[in-house]
Amino acid sequence: MLSVISYPVMLLSIVVSLVLSISLFPHGWFEFRPEWVGLMVFYWTFRAPAQFGILSAWVLGLLLDVIEATPLGVNALGMAVIAFLVLTVHQRLRMFPMVQQCLIVFLLLGINQMLVHFIKQLLGAESAGFDYLWPAATSAVLWVIVCPLLDRLNLKLG
Amino acid sequence: MFSGQEGVTIKTIFVQGPVPGFRLLFVLVLSLVLIVADARFDRLEEVRSRISTFLAPVFWLGNAPDRLGDWFAGLVTPREDLVSENEALKARLMILERRALKYAAVAAENNRLRELMNASGTLDDRVVVAEVVGVSPDPYSHEVIINKGSRDGVSAGQAILDANGLMGQVLYTSAFTSRVLLISDSSHAVPVEVLRNGLRAILLGNGDIGQLELVHVPDTGDIREGDVLVSSGLGGRFPKGYPVAEVSSITKDPGAPFITIHAEPMASLSRSKLVLVVFQEAGAAGAGELYDQQDDGEGGSAGDAEPGEAR
Repeated sequence: MLSVISYPVMLLSIVVSLVLSISLFPHGWFEFRPEWVGLMVFYWTFRAPAQFGILSAWVLGLLLDVIEATPLGVNALGMAVIAFLVLTVHQRLRMFPMVQQCLIVFLLLGINQMLVHFIKQLLGAESAGFDYLWPAATSAVLWVIVCPLLDRLNLKLG
Repeated sequence: MFSGQEGVTIKTIFVQGPVPGFRLLFVLVLSLVLIVADARFDRLEEVRSRISTFLAPVFWLGNAPDRLGDWFAGLVTPREDLVSENEALKARLMILERRALKYAAVAAENNRLRELMNASGTLDDRVVVAEVVGVSPDPYSHEVIINKGSRDGVSAGQAILDANGLMGQVLYTSAFTSRVLLISDSSHAVPVEVLRNGLRAILLGNGDIGQLELVHVPDTGDIREGDVLVSSGLGGRFPKGYPVAEVSSITKDPGAPFITIHAEPMASLSRSKLVLVVFQEAGAAGAGELYDQQDDGEGGSAGDAEPGEAR
């Protein structure tokens, strides 16, 4: 939990994550596109558990469903699960060093991706092996940059 | 929830209010209901379209870096380059106009001949130019977003072309944008025929952007490498006669009932920036009539395909 939370930063970071998850990405690198929205859900549930919770994560997931044209509810479910898991561990998470935090990011976003792909396969998509874990890995690497950046913005503007 | 002196210490433990598990359960049940309603019963098109319209600024911003790049490139291009490009385009226009003149005469003659045969005349399709403004974030689905929506009269099921051939079909529309399913998506199928001899088959996408699969062609089918596949217009979804793909490899396995055929899409699916949305004037009724006269036996085979609606 941060001492101050800046709502404009929250709103802006969420809009930016939605934009980034739709903007054009180098061809052939699609598999590695970080799960931006998932990362934001992780950050805000981690830093502001009283303001950002399961319901907000679910709504954000619903928006991602519309953007990705997956059946409504698939990503929403995944995001709600991320928020729930972060809520259960966020107190310990604050004590962890950066590397361990990245590991948790990978773990939770991996669970999210796994859930989403499991549901998609139930609905008839073809199996893609374990490639779907790449976004979780790239997001975990980005955590090193994203978390301090948003922290600083929060402290400056909050 | 907690008031009084001990509130401060207790609040840090129960930050999220009473039970986050209960909220999760609620949200899980809600999600499952939504998923079933959307995927199995298609009840949520209206909701999706609303949210999509609400998200229009996001789509617009997603395309902004690209537009900024174009604008900047426009600023720094020297005049000589523009002049030479202009001349090249004029020359190309001349060539195409000459071809169009000839085509008009041929089309008119074709229609007269059709009238003689008592078949319905073919109408030219109306097209609207649209721009690709985004791609699906999901790497396993081949979808793009174009900047024309229900406000411009676009509706689900319309065919999308680029300069070289068929690209896909409109999946959903919102007020300002539409989502296009490409022919290479693994849930997409196009009824096609071989241009050379009219052999009909179904062209499936297999999730590979540079390759499509032609299925259910019998071992004895007359098909060669390099054959051009055009849309057959059966199934009523795609207009007839647009090039779709070119056969790139044929593998005959003596034990299998069908040949394995791969085809390369004509349209540059991952590179085209400008696309055409086709508005069909007369619909598929004319095409259906035409096929009824030619042969009655095979009519049902390709018509069974429900292109792209298997999601």
